[in-house]
Amino acid sequence: MSAPTAPVSPVAPTAAAPVQALAASTPVQAPAGTLLLRLGRWSVLLPTRAAVGCLLLAAVLLVATAAALAVGTTSLSPVRSLPALVGVGDPTDVLVVQRLRLPRLVAGLLVGAALGIAGCLMQTLARNRLATPGTVGIDDGATAFAVASVVGVSTSLAPSAMALVGAATAAALALGLAGGAGTSGYRFVVVGLGVGAVLGAVTNLLLVRAPIDAANAAFPWSVGTLNARPTLPVTLLALGLAVCVPAALLVGRRLGALRFPDTVAAGLGVRVRLVRLAALAVAVVCAGLAVAVGGPLGMVALIAPEAARRVCGPRGVPVLGSALAGAVLVLAADTVGRTVAAPVEVPVGLVTAVLGCPYLIWLLLNSRPRRLP
Amino acid sequence: MTPPTVLRADDLSLAYGRTTVVDSIGLDLPAGQLTAVVGPNGCGKSTLLAGLSRLHKPARGAVLLDGQVLARLPVREAARRIGLLPQSADAPDGMTVADLVRFGRQPHQGLLRQWSEQDQRAVDGALAAADVATLADRRLETLSGGQRQRAWIAMAVAQDTPVLLLDEPTAALDLGHQLEVFELLRGLAAAGRTVVVVVHDLTSACRYADHLVAMLAGQVVAEGAPREVVTTDLVRRLYGVESSVLRDPVTGCPVVVPCGPAA
Repeated sequence: MSAPTAPVSPVAPTAAAPVQALAASTPVQAPAGTLLLRLGRWSVLLPTRAAVGCLLLAAVLLVATAAALAVGTTSLSPVRSLPALVGVGDPTDVLVVQRLRLPRLVAGLLVGAALGIAGCLMQTLARNRLATPGTVGIDDGATAFAVASVVGVSTSLAPSAMALVGAATAAALALGLAGGAGTSGYRFVVVGLGVGAVLGAVTNLLLVRAPIDAANAAFPWSVGTLNARPTLPVTLLALGLAVCVPAALLVGRRLGALRFPDTVAAGLGVRVRLVRLAALAVAVVCAGLAVAVGGPLGMVALIAPEAARRVCGPRGVPVLGSALAGAVLVLAADTVGRTVAAPVEVPVGLVTAVLGCPYLIWLLLNSRPRRLP
Repeated sequence: MTPPTVLRADDLSLAYGRTTVVDSIGLDLPAGQLTAVVGPNGCGKSTLLAGLSRLHKPARGAVLLDGQVLARLPVREAARRIGLLPQSADAPDGMTVADLVRFGRQPHQGLLRQWSEQDQRAVDGALAAADVATLADRRLETLSGGQRQRAWIAMAVAQDTPVLLLDEPTAALDLGHQLEVFELLRGLAAAGRTVVVVVHDLTSACRYADHLVAMLAGQVVAEGAPREVVTTDLVRRLYGVESSVLRDPVTGCPVVVPCGPAA
């Protein structure tokens, strides 16, 4: 650009012949730090670090899964537990693994993945690392409604269904009071905090006013546990994730541009309101279905995306990484909760909070100094 | 010989709530020219730019792109035809210059068309054009304000739109890089693009723009070739400043020398 008349536009048909000739002789290459998969006209660009990070997290998840199947009141080595998983070996082993540990393992995997996705989407769309289903009141809404249904009429399905309704109610309240999904992240987070506080107070009020037996029955809903969960909500969560994971990956791609200010994202052809609403809807469904299974699991939605970002790098929104990290976190915490004070079981929600918080602080202290997103 | 109009504001009013910021503006932005929008702070320049780029819905009137109502175009198609560089934008942490510039290609990409030869050519060209090719792998937060500004300009260039709107693209730049950016924009206009730029420096606007639009209190008060439009009267009216308008001995362009506040 030294001479004023130099052809500076590379994309202009007339002015940029040298640049184009150069480009035509070089084949398409993956930009630095990405993997390019090409098939004919189709191409997919993956951040290298995110791909490696997801594989790493998947490997850790396998180890955590094997450990969750093996460890417990009767410890089984993987040599015995893995065949028992497919019904081979000692009948007692098969019973323990298939009937006791597998359902719990599945519930933990799904809950962790759902909370990880929900946290990742919420944090990205609010542009705030504090925005999680827990902090904007979705957990509190689910808990309040579930406790209300247990204290009122106790059936096996009702609390789970009510938890989902409560999650949706809290999200709708926060969204409505914040003035819609188009408003800036902070407002939504602060309004959500308020909604959560009110709903948390409702839960406590219900527990205080209820007869002691009903309060006892409702208690697990206020801490979060994977012990003896009914099958139906787990099935619902599995179905929900079958829809939400692809949806989250699609939305996550668009959300990448929403990390910029709205004006930039809109200028790049992103339908800002639509994407934000879609991301919020997926997050609420994931969080609601997860809370309907296990109750509010403290901190998972806050820690999983943070860990995923650490492993997968800053390129892109780590939806898949957060799901994997969430699953690892819940499985590991539940395994610890089952064994650390056996035969008494520590609810997984307490373990995630107790182990998760120091981990989160360590993560934040160890990351290089930078601004909050 | 007047060039064809690509972008036209037709009786366009833009408002924030009940406050009208741009009031019934009719404006023809000529194709293949560099148009500079000037005016005092708060006169509605940035809002006009947002309106022209469909980010601000008209309270009245319409913006027409090649004769089509812009607000009715599909969002992604509009993003392939009009690019906007807003004033002082923030990027997420950890993003490199190349990452940022690649985002400019987003309107041209699809779920299974994420990186093509055309994308590569546009990104490489934009990096070179904005003079940030050597910074491609640097993180944005490690750059100076001027370098970051040029990275954003590269993103807008990579978007490869026939119409490019820039809001104070030279605000954080030193003299050398200001000139480079203006030369770059001139090059884009010479290659057939319609470039509209909001600038504060009247002399640069006169030197580089083909077409000057002067705004005051939400209205266009003067429009035309800089050497015909820029006078001591206009400067007094816009900024409340007495000035001498000289002629650049080399180019003949107006040079505004402020003398003091108007009486």
